[in-house]
Amino acid sequence: MKPLNLLKHVNQFRFWAIGLASVWLTLFVFMPNLLVVITSFLTRDVTATVSLPINGNSYLRTLDTLYLQVLWDSLLMSIETMLVCLIIGYPFAMCIAKLPKKWQPIILFLVILPFWTNSLVRTYALQFILGNKGVINNILVSLGIVDEPLQLLYTQFAVIVGLSYICIPFMILPLYSAIEKLDVRLYQAAQDLGAGAWSRFWHITIPLTSPGIIAGCLMVLIPAMGMFYISDLLGGAKNLLLGNVIKTQFLLARDWPFGSALSVMLIVLLGFMLWLYYKAANFVSKQGGINGSDF
Amino acid sequence: MARTSKALRFSYLISILVLLYLPIAVLVINSFNASKYGIHWAGFTWKWYVKLFANESLMQAAGHSLLIAVTSASIATIIGTLAAVALHRYQFKGKAILSSMVFISMLTPEIVLAIALLIIFILVGIQLGFWSLLLGHITFCLPFVIVAVYSRLKGFDMKMLEAARDLGATEGQVFMKIILPLALPAVAAGWLLSFTLSLDDVIVSAFVTGPGYEILPLKVYSMVRVGVSPEVNSISTVLLVISLILVIISQLLLREKN
Amino acid sequence: MKKWLAFLSVILMSACSKQEAQAPAADANVATPAAVSEAAPPGEQQKLVIYNWTEYLSETVLEAFTKETGIKVEYATYESNEAMYAKLKLLDGKGYDIVVPSTFYVEKMRKEGLLQPINKTMLKNYNNLDASAMNKMHDPDNQYSIPYLWGSTAIAINGKDVDASKIKKWADLWKPEYKGKIMLMDDVRDNFYVGLRVCGFNDNSTNEAEIKCAYEKLKSLMPSVKTFNSDSPKTPLIQGNVSIGAIWNGEAYKASEEMENLQYVYPEEGAVIWIDSFAIPKGAVNIEAAHKFVDFMLRAESGKACIEELGYPAPNTAATLLLDEKLRNNKIIFPNKEDVAKGSIHTDIGDAGLIYLKYWDLLKAGK
Repeated sequence: MKPLNLLKHVNQFRFWAIGLASVWLTLFVFMPNLLVVITSFLTRDVTATVSLPINGNSYLRTLDTLYLQVLWDSLLMSIETMLVCLIIGYPFAMCIAKLPKKWQPIILFLVILPFWTNSLVRTYALQFILGNKGVINNILVSLGIVDEPLQLLYTQFAVIVGLSYICIPFMILPLYSAIEKLDVRLYQAAQDLGAGAWSRFWHITIPLTSPGIIAGCLMVLIPAMGMFYISDLLGGAKNLLLGNVIKTQFLLARDWPFGSALSVMLIVLLGFMLWLYYKAANFVSKQGGINGSDF
Repeated sequence: MARTSKALRFSYLISILVLLYLPIAVLVINSFNASKYGIHWAGFTWKWYVKLFANESLMQAAGHSLLIAVTSASIATIIGTLAAVALHRYQFKGKAILSSMVFISMLTPEIVLAIALLIIFILVGIQLGFWSLLLGHITFCLPFVIVAVYSRLKGFDMKMLEAARDLGATEGQVFMKIILPLALPAVAAGWLLSFTLSLDDVIVSAFVTGPGYEILPLKVYSMVRVGVSPEVNSISTVLLVISLILVIISQLLLREKN
Repeated sequence: MKKWLAFLSVILMSACSKQEAQAPAADANVATPAAVSEAAPPGEQQKLVIYNWTEYLSETVLEAFTKETGIKVEYATYESNEAMYAKLKLLDGKGYDIVVPSTFYVEKMRKEGLLQPINKTMLKNYNNLDASAMNKMHDPDNQYSIPYLWGSTAIAINGKDVDASKIKKWADLWKPEYKGKIMLMDDVRDNFYVGLRVCGFNDNSTNEAEIKCAYEKLKSLMPSVKTFNSDSPKTPLIQGNVSIGAIWNGEAYKASEEMENLQYVYPEEGAVIWIDSFAIPKGAVNIEAAHKFVDFMLRAESGKACIEELGYPAPNTAATLLLDEKLRNNKIIFPNKEDVAKGSIHTDIGDAGLIYLKYWDLLKAGK
C-alpha cells in the first residue's frame, strides 16, 4: 500500500520518466550484466558450464598478448569506420539541413530506407559489387582501365567500406538532428562581425553540434566493434576480432567465465575511454565557454 | 557563389544517395534475374516472386517481424524519450548509475547480451516467443533512443521551461507542449533507428526466440548464409516497395491536410 | 530514494511470484508418458518441433509428412552444432523434439544425457538404412541417433582457372602457384584435420605437439588463403573469387550445376567424412510424433527427395536405388568406397578441443 500513497505525493511525470527507464535497465541490463560479472569469476565446467571456485584466472588470461592484439585490431577498425562515417556523414547531414523544410523528412527517409533491407543481404550485394567479376571490376576491365581485376573483395578496404555502409545512418540521423536546430542568427551575427566561412564553421557549427557528433560517433563506434560477420564476409574471415573471440569462447570453447571476462574487460575499457573523452570535452568546452557534453 | 555552393550541395546529396542505393539496386535487379546465383544476366523472370508468395512461412515471418519492429521501436521510443528528458532535466539520486547503464547496454557484446537475456527469461519464466523477442528488442533499442534524444535536448535553452513552470504548467504539460515538439526530430530518428535495428537483429533474436515464432531476419539470415537465395532478393524488393508506397501515401495525406 | 526502492521492490516481487507460479508448470513439462498425452490432448492437432541446420530438409517432404500424418511441424534452424548445443543445454533439452547433430555432437550430447534413446520398434523403415553408416564409434548400436545425411569435405577446383589434374592431395595446396586462390572451411576441426593429415598424424589427435605441428603447417598456407567460408563455400567459387576450395560435397554438387568445369577431388590423405543424424532431446514432449517423423524420413521416397534437392547422400539403400542412374553415379555425391575408407570422422575429443581453439585463434590472428 505504501508505494501507492507515495505516488500521490510525488510528481507523476517525473516519477514515470525516471521510473520506467530505471526499472527496464535494471531488469534487462543490470541483471544480465551482473550475471556476466558473476560468471567471469567462476570456473569453466564441462557438464555444468560453470562451477565454483571463485577466481580471477579468466581476467589474467585476457592479458595474453594475443587478445590484446585482437582488441587493438578491433578498436582500430571501429575507429576507422567511425571516421569514414563522420567525414561522409557530417557534410551530408549539413546538406540535408540546408534543404527546404518540406524536403528534409523525405531525404531523411530515403537515407534510412535502404537500411530496412537485412544487413546481411546488403553485405552480399556488396560482395557482388566488389568481387573479381563484380560490378566495379567489370566496368574497369571493360573500359580498359585495368587489365587484371583489382583485388577489392577479401581485403581490409572492403571491410571498412562494408562497415561504414552498414553504420552510416547511425551517424547521419543524430548529426542531422543536432545541425537542424542551429540558429541562423548566430551565423549572421558572426558574419557581421567579419568571421569567414571556415571560421564560422570551426567556431560555431562544430562546437554547437558536438552533442550530435558524440552521439553519432558512439552509435557507430560501439556497434562496429561487434559486427564481426561483416569482416568475415568481406574480409574473408582472416582477421580475428573481439566479437569472434567472445562468440568462440561462449559457443565453441564453452568457456563462459573467460568469454564473460573478455566482455567485462571490453565494457570497462570502452567505458574508461568514453569517460576520458567526456572529461576532455568538458574541459575544452569550459575553456571555450560553450556548454559541452557531460552526459 | 551561392548558386555554385547550392549545386555542390545538391550533387553531394545525390552522389551519396546513389552510393547508398547501389547495393539495393543490385539486389532488386537480381530479384528479376533468372540465374540463381546472379553471376550473369540470364534473362528476366518473375519466378522468384511466384516462389516467394508460395512460401507461407517466409510471409508469416515477415508479418511477425514488422509487428515486433513497430512495437519494440515504439515502446523503446516512449521509454527512451522519457529517460532522456529525465537525464537532461532532473537531478536525482542514481542519475550517474542510470546513465552508465545506458552505456553498458550499448557496450555489451550482442552474444553476451543474448545469452544473459535468455538466462533471465528462463529464470523469470517468460515463454520464449513473441514476448521474449519484444523484451529483448526493446532492450537493445533503448540506449539508441536515449542517446539520440539526449543529444538533441543538450544545448537547448531551458529557461523557457522554468518560465512555463512558474506560470503554473505541470511537468507533464511542459513535456507535451514544449519539450516534445523541440525533441521531435530526434524522437523520430530514435524510432527509425530502433525500427532498423529490430528489423535487422539476428544474434539476440536467435537465442531468445522460441520455435513457434519465426521472424524475418532469422529466416533471411539462414537462407542467405547458405548461398544467396533469390527469394530473399525478391522479399527485400517487395518490402522496399511497400515502404515507399506507404511514405508516398503519408506525404500525400499530409499535403492534403495542409 | 525510498520511493525508488519501493517501486523496484514491487516490480521485483511481482517478477519473483511469477517465477514461483511458473515453476510447477515447468516441471509438468518434463517428459513422462502422462505428460505427453497432456501436452497433446486428443482432438487438438499434434505437433512436432524440429531444430535443424538451415536449408537441410526438403520442404516438399515436410509438407507430405504433415499431409499424411496430420502432425503440424514447427521448424527452427541453427547455423552450427555449437549454437544448437548451447541453446539446448540452456533449455535443459526441452522445447525441441528433433535435432540433427553431427557425429561428435551426438557423442557429446549422449554422454551428457541430453538425448533420449530412440525406440527402433517404432521405425518400420529402419532396415532401409545403409549398414556402412551405422554402429559407429560416436553412438554404438545407434541407440540415440539415426543417420540422416552424410558427406565429405574435400577439394573443389575450378578447372577453367587451375589444372585440376595437378591437385591430388591436400599437400598440393601448398604449391606457390595457388597463392591467393584458395578457400578453406571456417571451421576449427576441418582445418586441423587437413593440417594433421598433411603432417601425417591422426586427425583426432589430442597431443598438443601434433596439433602445434599442424598449426605451423597451416600457418605456412595462410598467404595462399583468400578466404575462409563454411556458410556457403560454393558462392566464392561460383562468383569466381577463388579457384580452389575445401568444400562439402553437396555444395560442390550445387556449384557443378552452375560451373562447367568443376572438379571435386578426394585427396590422397583422405577427406573429412561426416554424418548428421536425427536425435530426440531429453526434454522432448512429442515423442511419438518424433518417431513418426524419423520413420517418415527413412522412407525411400523421402531419402530420394533429400538427395536430389540437397546433393548429399542419404545412408538409405532403398533411396539410392530409386535415383536415376546419372545421379547415382555422380562421383561428387557418392564417393568410391576406397575414398571413403581413406577418410575419417571427427570424434568428440573432449577438452583437447581447447588446444585446437587456442591454435585456431593464433592462426586467425596471424601469429
